[in-house]
Amino acid sequence: MNKLQYINSLLILIVLWMPTYSWAKTKLFYLTLENNVFTPSELKIPAKEKVKLIIHNKDDKAEEFDSFDLNREKMLFPHKKAVIFIGPLLPGKYEYFGEYNPNSARGIIIVEVSNAN
Amino acid sequence: MCFRVLFIMIIIFSGHAFADGIVVDKVYHPYVLPDEQEFEWRLISRQTDDENLLAQRIAYGQSVSDNVMIEGYLIGEKTALEDFKLQAYEIEVRWMITEQGELWADWGMLFEVEKQHNSNDWEVTTGILFEKEFGRTSLTMNLFGVYESGESLQDEFEAEFRLKYRYRWLPQIQPAIELYTGEDYIGIGPAFMGIQRFNGQKQLKWELGFIAELSQTDKDHTLRFALEYEF
Repeated sequence: MNKLQYINSLLILIVLWMPTYSWAKTKLFYLTLENNVFTPSELKIPAKEKVKLIIHNKDDKAEEFDSFDLNREKMLFPHKKAVIFIGPLLPGKYEYFGEYNPNSARGIIIVEVSNAN
Repeated sequence: MCFRVLFIMIIIFSGHAFADGIVVDKVYHPYVLPDEQEFEWRLISRQTDDENLLAQRIAYGQSVSDNVMIEGYLIGEKTALEDFKLQAYEIEVRWMITEQGELWADWGMLFEVEKQHNSNDWEVTTGILFEKEFGRTSLTMNLFGVYESGESLQDEFEAEFRLKYRYRWLPQIQPAIELYTGEDYIGIGPAFMGIQRFNGQKQLKWELGFIAELSQTDKDHTLRFALEYEF
């Protein structure tokens, strides 16, 4: 394989690698941050399914959503909505918190096999 | 799909890699946070039968939008023959293309321009950054194309591939396996990374890896360490 063929192979692999969009309907779930408190503090979502979490920060200051369990970090700008994609996850409890107010801005995502709402 | 692509990549790069210099460095994640600043220090110590090389980088970076971060580096090196001195400067741009978790995998791109301090030699790098979650583990892969040109360099295109498979055990301790390929180089070894959070957005990230070269019988070990303070 010469260098040109090698580069061609790389390009083919890059195309194979490129993002593929999922057209399946992603379920929406909502959280609100107000007075440095997330509500609902416990949110149930379905297991083994990707969901879209929309967080509305109603406070005047920014907050940063952080969860090692969920492997997500997201800046929540004041009076704006942020989107976080979660999952697919196994059943269990996944904690998250706000980095600027970790004592009050806390919550749990409960992943259940069924009856999530 | 992912492991099929990974397998193909390893097969191809194990036989036909072009890059030279120090291949072991850092496996980049394809993520950028807005309003983030960071200081970074990297140390790489490579020992072979013929030479010992110590390279250090210090950097400052800042996100300039929701998905773009710019980082500037000063690179110093020490060899067995030369004392530690400034070797090069570099500017790097990282672009988070997809929202984390939105697609089957997360994607980003990296662009770097490096100039040697004492010569008119340039290196331009373009790379694809990939990360895919599998439960509590994450697979991160980087594919770089490097173009070198200058007064003491032969114009050439090179390619590098880096891989990290990480277990997110605890925030402070996340064991991993890292693999690097470049010209006549296939290195693999254990690595660890961790993160310690402080007040607000402040956090300290650390990475440590020990990479052994596999394709040659001669000694070729690289120890890498990195500290990143984000605020």
